[in-house]
Amino acid sequence: MKKRYGVTVSHTKITDTAEVVKRVRDEVAAGKADGSVDLVWINGENFRAMKTDKLLFGPWSESTPNFALVDVEGKPTTKQDFSEAVEGLESPWGMAQLTFFADGAKVTNPPRSINELIAYATQNPGRVTYPAPPDFHGTTFLKQVLYESVQDISVFAKQGDEATFKQYEDVWAKSLNELHKVSWRDGKQFPKAQADVTNMVADSELLIGITFNPNEPANLVAAGRMPAATVAWQHKNGTIGNTHFVAIPANAKAKAGAQVFANFLLSPEAQAKKNDLKIWGDPTVLAVSKLSEADAKMFTSAPAPGSVSIPGPALLEPHASWVALLETAWLKRYGQG
Amino acid sequence: MGGFARNRLVKALRSGLMQAVRRYLGAAPLVLLFLLPLALSLILLLRGLVDIQASQALFQHPQFSGALKLTLFTGITSTAASLMLAVMITSQNHRNILQQASVFLSVPHLALAMGLGFLIAPTGLLARLIAALFTGWTLPPHWQTTQDSFGFALIAALVLKETPFLVWAMASVMQQDELKQRFARETIVALSLGHGLHASFMRIVLPQVLQRSLWPIIAVFSYGMTVVDMALVIGPTQPPTLAQLVWTDLNDGEVLANARGAAGTLVLSGLIISALAMIFLVLRITRPLQRQWMTLAARPEIRSTVPARIIWPIWAIIYALVIVAMALQSFSALWPFPDLVAPHFTTTAWARLLQDASPFWTSVVIAIVTSCLALVAVIAWLETQSQARDRIALAAATAMLCLPALLVALGQYRLLLLVGGTGTWVGLLFAHVLSVTAYMLVMLTGSYRAFDPHWQSASRGLGASRLTFLSKVKWPMMKASLLSSLAIGFAVSIAQFVPAQLAAAGRFSTLPMEAVTLSSGGNRALIAVYALVLMALPLIAFQLSSWASRPRWRTA
Repeated sequence: MKKRYGVTVSHTKITDTAEVVKRVRDEVAAGKADGSVDLVWINGENFRAMKTDKLLFGPWSESTPNFALVDVEGKPTTKQDFSEAVEGLESPWGMAQLTFFADGAKVTNPPRSINELIAYATQNPGRVTYPAPPDFHGTTFLKQVLYESVQDISVFAKQGDEATFKQYEDVWAKSLNELHKVSWRDGKQFPKAQADVTNMVADSELLIGITFNPNEPANLVAAGRMPAATVAWQHKNGTIGNTHFVAIPANAKAKAGAQVFANFLLSPEAQAKKNDLKIWGDPTVLAVSKLSEADAKMFTSAPAPGSVSIPGPALLEPHASWVALLETAWLKRYGQG
Repeated sequence: MGGFARNRLVKALRSGLMQAVRRYLGAAPLVLLFLLPLALSLILLLRGLVDIQASQALFQHPQFSGALKLTLFTGITSTAASLMLAVMITSQNHRNILQQASVFLSVPHLALAMGLGFLIAPTGLLARLIAALFTGWTLPPHWQTTQDSFGFALIAALVLKETPFLVWAMASVMQQDELKQRFARETIVALSLGHGLHASFMRIVLPQVLQRSLWPIIAVFSYGMTVVDMALVIGPTQPPTLAQLVWTDLNDGEVLANARGAAGTLVLSGLIISALAMIFLVLRITRPLQRQWMTLAARPEIRSTVPARIIWPIWAIIYALVIVAMALQSFSALWPFPDLVAPHFTTTAWARLLQDASPFWTSVVIAIVTSCLALVAVIAWLETQSQARDRIALAAATAMLCLPALLVALGQYRLLLLVGGTGTWVGLLFAHVLSVTAYMLVMLTGSYRAFDPHWQSASRGLGASRLTFLSKVKWPMMKASLLSSLAIGFAVSIAQFVPAQLAAAGRFSTLPMEAVTLSSGGNRALIAVYALVLMALPLIAFQLSSWASRPRWRTA
């Protein structure tokens, strides 16, 4: 970056983006204009918190040159972060969508809905589960079950509260109860993290794995941690998907440099590199059809073993307020084993 | 006043002043490094005491009551079982028991929990062996050997780790020269009164040993009730133990959850104190009964039915199996069940360790620096303070070791936040140095004070300065205890997780932090590599210290 654009980038590892939100809030409250954060990797709840509290610089993201290449039509989550309008306050970086995977030699007919999953688990008791919330894969799975147990999901785009949730809680819990009866450890224990599930699938203690990165199964095959026969799929009626972004805090010191860097992150070159299974395998936010032929070539390699072979549409995330409602209800119902 | 008298007065004043200066300078390192931060940390904890709202939120947590029961069950069961096993082991005449115990001691709790998982999990080495030899399973069995709802796996891991500690503590009491002779005499008396050997151990030696091992036993109980890293690896989640619940809250991004976590540490501490109070009360009330049992008429032998002799060797076998399981795992990528060994042998995981070696070096450097700092502080204290003052230092160290690690760590963290030290090197050092100093103080004080004062008068008589005496006579003679306490300090530092994780604020990573992250982050081979390294480093330190302290010459 320094050589090409004269911008020095230093990466700070954090355990939780909420820490950054807190830090910026404290700094702004203290009137500190030259803040310690120039660019933050963000989405969902944290974005909403920063947007509501006016802690973000902008709008800027739609005026960066490379934004024109973003697939805003095909990937609506690039303009709608969970249920919050982006409004130029953050720049899309990568895509995520709830995806399931398995060893194709063991799972020949992947279940493509929650009901099919329950039916599959009934035939193979104790071989299906999901990570315990608040692991976000677990939480997303709960949202997915909610979406698939109701007729109309549009209500979840709006702010949720106890009263609204009450109307849907029973059908949601009914699906979960059915699944838990035939789950790993009879649904009385859950793996602590998504990575545990992945390991257990690799060992065949479980038969179906779960991920938020559609390329992760292919990544695992490449790393020799899953067999080459691995299959990955999404549900018939769609699975929850979202976009992750980068945003500039209102009190950032190097706002210009941050924008240059965000634009670089959107360049076909950087996006292709990020998309590479050997590097990260994080799906691009760009529309390959908008790229020059040479650039497009970087994205159209032959599908690697383990890539998603049965895709489904991406569903918008519910409003961030639903997370706490689902997690609390889940803990109350299933937190005691 | 005559010139002579004035001279004497000046001289006396000067030497008094010198002594005072020396005394303050000598106490300073320990006070600054250990006593003061510990005191401040504990004071800062009081802030959470009045947070009624946070306590209420804790009690209303859907998992609170389940977590409470689980914690009491795992804490009490593991301590009781460890104590019983330790008594059975020490009742036998094992040779070199202290050295053997110290090998088991040097294995960090976290590494043991991880390794035990590789051994007993449904896809672990044992299940694969059974599949290969007997059952021909093609899918892993539905065992609940790790993360079981009752916490049995956690209890097993704790017992495996704490029993050697109690054996070590009890055996060191029994091997103190003065007590050893007394026990021998008393045993002879008991034998001539017609008691059997085992009966005399149980009735005469054991009560005295237990009385002197009270603090280690309390430390084991407190540890079992508050352990975080082991529970994260091998304990249940629905509900988790209280310590895990607290830990999750303390690391949450939300201020309210943090307060709830702080309230949780206090509840945990209260729980430990009340449990201990109950036990003492029961012991006090049943004293007449105990006396009755101890003064029963002689019977030729009361033998325990369990063949106590084979218990101790079992430890070596289990630890060895754990290491084998981890070694196999560390060289495998995909290792499908029920293969007994992975189909492909790969060094990828070891290469990863070398590629991102910064947690390794951070841990090693911090362990070396903190153990050396602590050694200097402890020696400076012991050389300049009167023996009567040791009580203050030892009381602080004992408190540090017996208080729940979570509680002290939270106090330390608040202190660091107050001075803006989180996420700095100094802060990270500070997070390690407290427990290192506490352990080294406890280990070293006894032998340092037992050094025969005649050596000093003899060398002073020969005109040697104090410094010459220390560097040429005392320290070389005490080399073994100095080096072994250094090794213990190193091992303690390597194993620090809770305070380090809080202090590092994501800016640094040490081996245990990396290992815990990995254990929830998947790659088993990598987990095995980290667990093995966590085990190897303290073992190397112990080997080095015993190699360096071997006698260089023999007296005829």
